[in-house]
Parts: sequence; structure tokens; C-alpha cells
Amino acid sequence: MEFGWSEDQTAYRQRVKDVLAENLPEDWEERAIHGPGSTPVTRFSFEFCKILAEKNLLIPHWPVEYGGSAAQPWNHFILGEEAWQVGEPRGPQYMNVNWIGPVLMRYATDDQKARYLPPIVNGDVIWCQGFSEPSAGSDLASLRTKAERVEGGYIVNGAKVWTSFATHANHCFLLARNGTGKDGIMILLVDMTSPGIQVKQIPALIGEGDIHEFFLTDVFVPEENRLGAEGQAWEIISYALQNERIGIARYAFARRVLDSVIEELKADGRFDDPVVQDRAGRVLAKVEAARMMVYRVVDERAKEQPISAYGSLARYCLVEADHAVADFVLEFLPSGMLGGDPLQQAHHQRALYSGIASGAAEIQLNLAARRHLGLPSETTRGL
Amino acid sequence: MDFEPNENQTAILDGLEQLISSQAIEAPKDGVLVAFSEALDAELALGGFLDIAREEEFTLLDAALVVERLARLPVSAEVAFSALVAPLFAADTVQRPFALVSGNALAPARFLTVARTLIVDKGDELLMIEVDPARVEPVESLFAYPYGRLTSLDGLNMQTFGADMAAAVRRRWRLALAVEGVGLMQSAIDTVVDHVTNRYQFNRPLGSFQAVQHRLAIAAGKQQSARWLALRAAWSDSESDCAIAAAYLQDCIPAMVYDLHQFSGAMGLTLEFPLHFWTYRLKAMLGELGGGSAQARAAALATWPDAA
Repeated sequence: MEFGWSEDQTAYRQRVKDVLAENLPEDWEERAIHGPGSTPVTRFSFEFCKILAEKNLLIPHWPVEYGGSAAQPWNHFILGEEAWQVGEPRGPQYMNVNWIGPVLMRYATDDQKARYLPPIVNGDVIWCQGFSEPSAGSDLASLRTKAERVEGGYIVNGAKVWTSFATHANHCFLLARNGTGKDGIMILLVDMTSPGIQVKQIPALIGEGDIHEFFLTDVFVPEENRLGAEGQAWEIISYALQNERIGIARYAFARRVLDSVIEELKADGRFDDPVVQDRAGRVLAKVEAARMMVYRVVDERAKEQPISAYGSLARYCLVEADHAVADFVLEFLPSGMLGGDPLQQAHHQRALYSGIASGAAEIQLNLAARRHLGLPSETTRGL
Repeated sequence: MDFEPNENQTAILDGLEQLISSQAIEAPKDGVLVAFSEALDAELALGGFLDIAREEEFTLLDAALVVERLARLPVSAEVAFSALVAPLFAADTVQRPFALVSGNALAPARFLTVARTLIVDKGDELLMIEVDPARVEPVESLFAYPYGRLTSLDGLNMQTFGADMAAAVRRRWRLALAVEGVGLMQSAIDTVVDHVTNRYQFNRPLGSFQAVQHRLAIAAGKQQSARWLALRAAWSDSESDCAIAAAYLQDCIPAMVYDLHQFSGAMGLTLEFPLHFWTYRLKAMLGELGGGSAQARAAALATWPDAA
């Protein structure tokens, strides 16, 4: 047991920092105020991910046969930490490398791999995930979008909502059903330019690009675009979400904002106030707690141990940390949210959805209660 | 970065388990508030478990793992101060067991009834007082540690150390508190998880209700967070890490202890239920070192050092 970085990891982090410093444009801070799914960041992601790809930094953790260099999961996580800290210049493509690609590697046919993986490897494709629906959010298994089998494929009808990145997405990782219950759900890899798809952005507190609804009306999806078998979706998305829950190093951006706010408070002489120090110290502890919990999960992955419920515990800590920083800023430096510091607003907007995206925080508590603590199911009866 | 025990750590913990097994330790069933084991204390000292951080082949983190494991027992021994604070002093200059207190040397202190040395943190200096047992009066309390206070300082041998040593002791005291606290939290949570799994109401286990599940899951997340912060602090021994770990632990205690007692119902109010052996050690820690606010401020000042 030890908690330091190896020489290789330190050198790798420095390399990532150098690449970011050399390749982020002068106006990056202004662009990064917008979320990863915004038009300015998405556009830049095509440019930036190509640079990462050239430098073997886009998918270093992928197996060699898929274009990666089989780097340790730690390296991938260091990259994610540094990228999220500066506003995620990979834009929506972070999702491709974190879980879309790995899921395709595990479940796709050879033809699907040949079609979908190279654009991810080259950094020139955007995916969105078609999971939530107007009546199926946390209760994802109640989704209603229908995939009716027809000759050569499926006709899909339904509506998806809260979808990030949909405006710019080339493909959608779509859940649809042709049967009942969890076993009646399948995954379709849908071309977003297919006739019958209508995307509408929903104005939101969290800014542009991250919340959409889209409608599928008699959309034909070829059978070869189905991922896995009919009814295999639950297994596949369970695997996918394990990668997604702690895939974003939220504590890194939170810590950067906290550090910058403290600098401002110091410049104003307000950090001499013991009350401010007290509150800052407590918030700092939550951020560092989230960091350690996430590192613990990454260590588990690096050792290829079975996936535990630790990711759910870590996710809840991330949410707490993100909100603690956002609330500290609101209380002690509200001018930042009134045009004084766009970075603070950018963090605030990201923190707003940290407990909602990728499975609500309360669902993580359900999972942790059952799988980490071994508490009995809600349906247990007796005595 | 490695979150699994290494070979040395595994060997130490295996040896410790053997010692614990040999002591056949159980929670007292005779309705007592305080459970202190002189036999365990003596065996740990004899077995060298409290001197690990002084050994060249071992580390402060190794010693912290020992402290954490022993804190999970329903009985206490003076472990954390001996294993984590005392190594700041030359071995032949100090005698365990230790008691530590902030400010007033005559204030009640944990373990003072069994201590041979009282360390007093006076902020910019440190007093080390050789304890005369005849000058110690026991202090009864709800806290599950033995408490005592000195009746006077007259004629007691004492040494004075400067501000640097005072700061170093505070740092290690924070570490000791953080590491012991996570062990206490673990056993308290385990006890309550067992209770809510086996206690049926409304024809269901209490632990099947989501209101209970969520709060216990939050407690588990906080305990694990506190654990890794504490062990990181033991690894780095830095001012900021030690203060962060202690601040986080003290911050978590009130809500966690409230929930654990709440879910135990009236059973948790009785002395026959062992929960208080852990929760009332945690409550004792809440006010140590000036309380959570002092640790939070120390963490802030250590992390952003050119403040104030």
C-alpha cells in the first residue's frame, strides 16, 4: 500500500500537461466555459483529438489490436484528470474513449468494430447515448421506445430525452425494446442522419449542448447495427455504466476552482477570516475524499479485480464534493456567478448535473446498500 | 499508487490477528461504559506492535494499519499515541502509555488513568509530564475511554519543547485521531448493519427500507473516504494530509453516530448492545485538538500556505 505516483506516471502526467499547454488555443478559457457538448468545444474536439491521436494520447489504454498501446488504466485516468481540469477539450469524445469504444470491443461483431472503432481512434466522430425517455429516467428498464422487427432490420419509434451531444452526434447508442422487462431490451447503433430522427435542444441551466430530446419516427435500423443479441442490452449497459460512473475526474475541476477562488479571497484579505478558512478546509476535505475514493476504484481496475460496488460509493462522494465547492463559491464569492469569473459558472453548471447524469446519486446509494453493505432487498419479507 | 497491503503490511496484520485471537477479546456483557484492556495493552507492547514506526524496515503507514485494526475491537488500549505520535521522540526518552491534552494540563485526558506520560500541547510549546499515578483522579464519563485528570502539577518532572515539536505532535495527533476513528467507524457500521439485517419490523428487515439503506450507504462511503484520507496521511505524513484526514473524520462523526444509534433504536441506548464502545469513542474524538473547525482551518492554511 502506498499513495505516490511512479516516475513513469509523473512523466506521463507532465507529457499530458505539455500537450495541453501547447495545443489549447489562446481563447480556450472562453470556449471551455461552455460544456463538453457545446458547439465551440465539440468543434475544437475534432482538432484536439486528432492531435491526441497523433501523440498516442487519445486511447492509450486500449489494447494494441485496436490501436491503443495497452497502457495502464492509471495513465488513462491521469489523462482524464488533466483534461477535465482544464474544461475537457476532448468534448463529447471523452465518452467514446471511456466507454463507447471499450463496449464495442467487448460486444461488437468484427464488421461493427471495423466500422465504428477507427473513427473513434482517429478522433473524428461524436456519439450520444439514447437511454433516458420521458417516462424512463432512473427506472431505465421501463423504457418504451419500440424496435419492431422487419425484413433486414428494425423500425424504431419512440422518444429520448436529456440526451447529451445529440445535435452534433453521428451515432446514437440507443436502447429500444421488442419485448417485455429488462430481457426485452436491445441496443441499436443508430446513424443520427437516418430519416425520421428529429433532434431538439432543450434550453437548460447547464448551458448549451448537454440536454436534448429527440424523436424517432419509423426510423429504419439495419440488423447489422444491433449490438449483441436481442435482450442482451441490460448486461451490456451494466458493463458500460461501470466505466462511466467514475469516468469523469470531477474532483480535479472542483479542486482547480476551489484553488482559484481561494486565491481571490486571499487577494481581498478575506481568507484571513477563520470562518472562511474553516469552510474552505471542510470543502477541501470532501474534494480530497472524492479523489481518494476514485483512485481506489482505478486501482481495482488496474489490477483487473472484479467490479465492486465501490464505484457507486465513489460516485456519491464525487457529487458531494462538486456541490460543496459550488456552494462554497456561491456563499463566499458570488460575484463569480455574476460575470466576475466565468470559470466558476462553468464549474457550477457541471456540478448541477453530477448527481443526475450516469445514474442518479440515489440509485448509487441503492446499489451500495445492497452490494457493498449486503443489506436485504426491499422485497424481503418474513418473521 | 497501490491500495492493497504489501508483503510487510500483510505479515504485520497477520501477526496482529494472531495476537487478537490469543486474547479472546469480546465486548463486555456486564453493562459497562468503558472497556479498556490492560492485558491487550501489555501484549501489544510486548509484541512490538506499538514500535513499528521506529523500525527501519517498516513505515508510519504500517503502524497506522495496526492502529486501525485495533480500533475495530470493542475494547480499547493506548495504541494510536504510542504507535504514531511517540516515534517523534527518541525511544529511550519517553515512557508509554501516553495521554495527550490541548491547552490546560489539568484538563481531563483519554488514558490518563493508565498513562505514564502526559503530553500537553500549549500551541507554541509542548510540555511532557511524567505522570505520578497518585496525582491522577479518574473522571467518569459516557465516553468509552478511561479518562483522568491531574490534580496538580506541583513537583512533577516535566520537559518543555519548542514550537516545532508542538506542531509535529499536533500533526501526528491528527493522524492518530483520523486512523483510529476509521477503525471505530467500521465496527460501528458493521454492528448496525448486522442489527438492521436481523431486526424485523412491519414484517421486513429494517435494513430493507430505503430510508435506512441510503443513510447507511452514505455512512459507508464516508467511512471509506475517511479511511483512504487517513492512510494517505500516514503515507505522506504531511501537514495538509494529516489535517485534511482529521477534519474529514471529525466532520463525519455527528451525522454518522446519530444515524447508527437511530437505526439501533432503544437497543442502542443500552449498555448490553456494544455500539457505544465505538460510537462513544468517536464522540470523544469530536472535541479533541480543538474540534473539527480547528482541523479544517489547519488544513486550509497548510494547503494554501501563504494565507493569513
